[in-house]
Amino acid sequence: MTLFDVAKKNIQGNFKNYLIYLLSMIFSVMIYYIFVSLQYSKAITEGLQSSESLRAVLSQASVILILFTAVFVWGSNAFFTRKRMKEVGLYALLGMRRQTIARMLFYENLIMSLAALIIGIFLGTLLSKLFTMILLKLLDNPVQAGFEIHIGAIGQVTFVFVVLILITSMQGYRLIYKFKLVELFQAERKGEHAPRISLLAAGLSVILIALGYWTAFKPISTTQGILVNFSIIFIGLGAGTYLLFRSLVIALLQLSSHHKKRYYRGINMIGTSHLLYRIRSNTVMLTTIALLSSLTLCAVSVGYSFFYTQKQSAEQEMPFSYTYAASENGLDAEARQLILSDAKHPVIAEIDLPAIATDADLTRFAYQPGNYEPNKVPVKLISASTYNRAASALGYKERLQPAGRDVVLVRPLYTTLSADEVQGNRISVTTGNERESLEVTGIAEERILPWGYPDMCIVISDSLFSQLNKSLKASTYKAFKVRGQETTKETATALIKLSGDGTGMATFYQQYRQNVENAGINVFTLGFLGLVFLAATGSIIYFNQLTKAEASKGSYGILRKIGVSRKDIRRSVAKQVLFVFGLPLIVGLVHSIMMLKALAGINLISGLFAVPILVSGGAYLLIYLAYYAFTVKTYDRTVSAQL
Amino acid sequence: MNVVIEGKQISKVYGSGDSVISALQLIDLTVMEGESVAIMGPSGSGKTTLLNILATIDSPTSGEVVIDGYNILNMNEEQLSSFRRDRLGFVFQDYNLLDTLTVKENIVLPLAIAKMNIGQLEQRASEVAVRFGIQSILDKYPYQISGGQKQRTAASRAIVTKPALLLADEPTGALDSKSATDFLESLKELNEQEGTTILMVTHDAYAASYCKRVIFIKDGSLFTELVKGSQSRRDMFKKVLDVLAVLGGGAIDAV
Repeated sequence: MTLFDVAKKNIQGNFKNYLIYLLSMIFSVMIYYIFVSLQYSKAITEGLQSSESLRAVLSQASVILILFTAVFVWGSNAFFTRKRMKEVGLYALLGMRRQTIARMLFYENLIMSLAALIIGIFLGTLLSKLFTMILLKLLDNPVQAGFEIHIGAIGQVTFVFVVLILITSMQGYRLIYKFKLVELFQAERKGEHAPRISLLAAGLSVILIALGYWTAFKPISTTQGILVNFSIIFIGLGAGTYLLFRSLVIALLQLSSHHKKRYYRGINMIGTSHLLYRIRSNTVMLTTIALLSSLTLCAVSVGYSFFYTQKQSAEQEMPFSYTYAASENGLDAEARQLILSDAKHPVIAEIDLPAIATDADLTRFAYQPGNYEPNKVPVKLISASTYNRAASALGYKERLQPAGRDVVLVRPLYTTLSADEVQGNRISVTTGNERESLEVTGIAEERILPWGYPDMCIVISDSLFSQLNKSLKASTYKAFKVRGQETTKETATALIKLSGDGTGMATFYQQYRQNVENAGINVFTLGFLGLVFLAATGSIIYFNQLTKAEASKGSYGILRKIGVSRKDIRRSVAKQVLFVFGLPLIVGLVHSIMMLKALAGINLISGLFAVPILVSGGAYLLIYLAYYAFTVKTYDRTVSAQL
Repeated sequence: MNVVIEGKQISKVYGSGDSVISALQLIDLTVMEGESVAIMGPSGSGKTTLLNILATIDSPTSGEVVIDGYNILNMNEEQLSSFRRDRLGFVFQDYNLLDTLTVKENIVLPLAIAKMNIGQLEQRASEVAVRFGIQSILDKYPYQISGGQKQRTAASRAIVTKPALLLADEPTGALDSKSATDFLESLKELNEQEGTTILMVTHDAYAASYCKRVIFIKDGSLFTELVKGSQSRRDMFKKVLDVLAVLGGGAIDAV
């Protein structure tokens, strides 16, 4: 019998033990393959305006995915090897050389990894169609995807996993060489001490987390403020969460054990004391999972909220369906003809927008766009009557009446400027060789011009406009609003073609498409990574709890003998496992809501993140519920096997 | 006087088909209230199987077992759990204390499981602690105390519910001779003063000589039995050794 045969026999004989490891390997291969194959998918690259950006996002994301997978495979391999240390010890005791044992384990790892690779790629091929369809749906494309097999993807996945297998095998080698035979005969756990509580640390954790939350609710105005506040939030929540798991939870558990009436009831004291003893060894795991899952939830919610509001932001960026600068050479008429002839999208409003382009000195203004000298920022000046006509054409309620030298600034997109901040500020506008000093009296919410950085659109009185128009010639924008502008693909494409390089032509459709694509890719990638990440953390807790279950088999055997029913044991196990899954879940959820609140505070996302957080939080909850049920079942089976 | 254990024609067969191993054959056993009984026999004689059956954690292939008036073979899993909790006490060779609980918590565990009210629970705990002389270590954890103290803790836990029957599996197996003697004296006192019925399985002739009756089994059947009556413990010890010599097998080298 060769060593290879022994390895094969081992796998066959202990299939149940190997199954968990095998399944987690298969899962990793499958997920990674799906992701890589998306990059190679023709159905997706063909349906996109900008497929390079998709490639870039997907390949960046797949690097993160490799890291997740590596940690996941590494973790499950470590668990699996540790579980088999007794067996290794036995071989050593029987006189097998370490090198031989290591080689045998290597063969086993090799056989299983190859099986996982093949099965994973097979399942991945089946499922990649589903994920292609989901992505196409998110990109608002016709959902048609056939089965595609990508040799490149298979090659990439195989390469990555062969490297991973080699690394995990080396880890196995290391464990075997480090293993001391005497450890086999020593008691597994001796002299574990009950944890001491530090009230100072417990109090500090409350203070730090409260500080983080409080900061999230504080309004921020300056860029520096953003940096400071987010540092406070991250440090406060990070350190606070660590101390929470290290001290506060332990303190609360001990407090609950002082409540004798409940503590001495049924096997509550078993559950509490088990948690109390083990939570300390789990501090790092729980902290990491809670923090990373709150970041994941945040990222997914942000991505989802962009997706959710991309139509709205396209409307802000392109208030009219088509806007172009009027020019002398007959193109205007041609463009106008094109727009009017599109019978499916009748024109609701057609309007001319004269605007003066010049520079302004913003040194004494509350906001200075980056990348420009503050004393020479390009601005656009519009008369109040033009603004009001456009506003009524677009169905806005807002009307402006600046008098004399008072002006109103249309709030630049993606800023948090408020009327209070700008009121009374003075800006001076360059008019030929002179400068005109103007006082800002307020902020207008609604936009009428297409977005273009630095996006400074200033509404001035009609009289001032006509005065300035003498020295600075106004140019005119032709603006059209049509019905059903989300589907104006043909007209928009034709218009851009007409304008040559497309610079003078701004269409809603193109902006909208770009937003849909960016948001779709983001939400897909983030959602995908989020799911994988949550699944990975769920498995980490699962493996962790199984290790605990193995360690506490004896205790539960005793309990059964002194008359605790199976039902009570299951209930106690369910409670303990609930605690371990529930803590990071709740902390992660609350943290992420607070972080989103802070992000909404700086207008990075709209304040309406209720739906995104509900959806991503709900997915989180569902995944954890599934893991929870599975863990309780396995845990219960492990400890009830005794008697 | 009441009958605590009434076992009739107890048989236990392991395996099926061609590879059948018979562990117990038609054992009859009666234990009266207030008795202390030791079961002895060579390795593989079936004494642990018998104890497990009486402890309701194993069931016989055929026969009848009535403990404290209850026919345990008619009970389901749930009923057996509460039966063990309410009417049986256990002491094991390796103590079987829970590492994460203090001595006191280990002792009151069965009462907590029975959902006894807190006042009564505290009172019982201090009563048994006094009986076994472990008041000073109540707040310690099992890893902080000696083997003898661990076994007293285990015994305290076993009798805290005032069980109808105390079952002990090699209770002195892991103790040095001084601790073993102390522990056996405590059990004897318990038996004589409180009338607790004790049944122990042991290899140790010295431990067996503390009991009022010693039953010997060999190859799954009753071999003989010794009754102490009015003779001294020392004489009983000699008689036990004599029987073991006749019994042969693994029993000799264990003495």
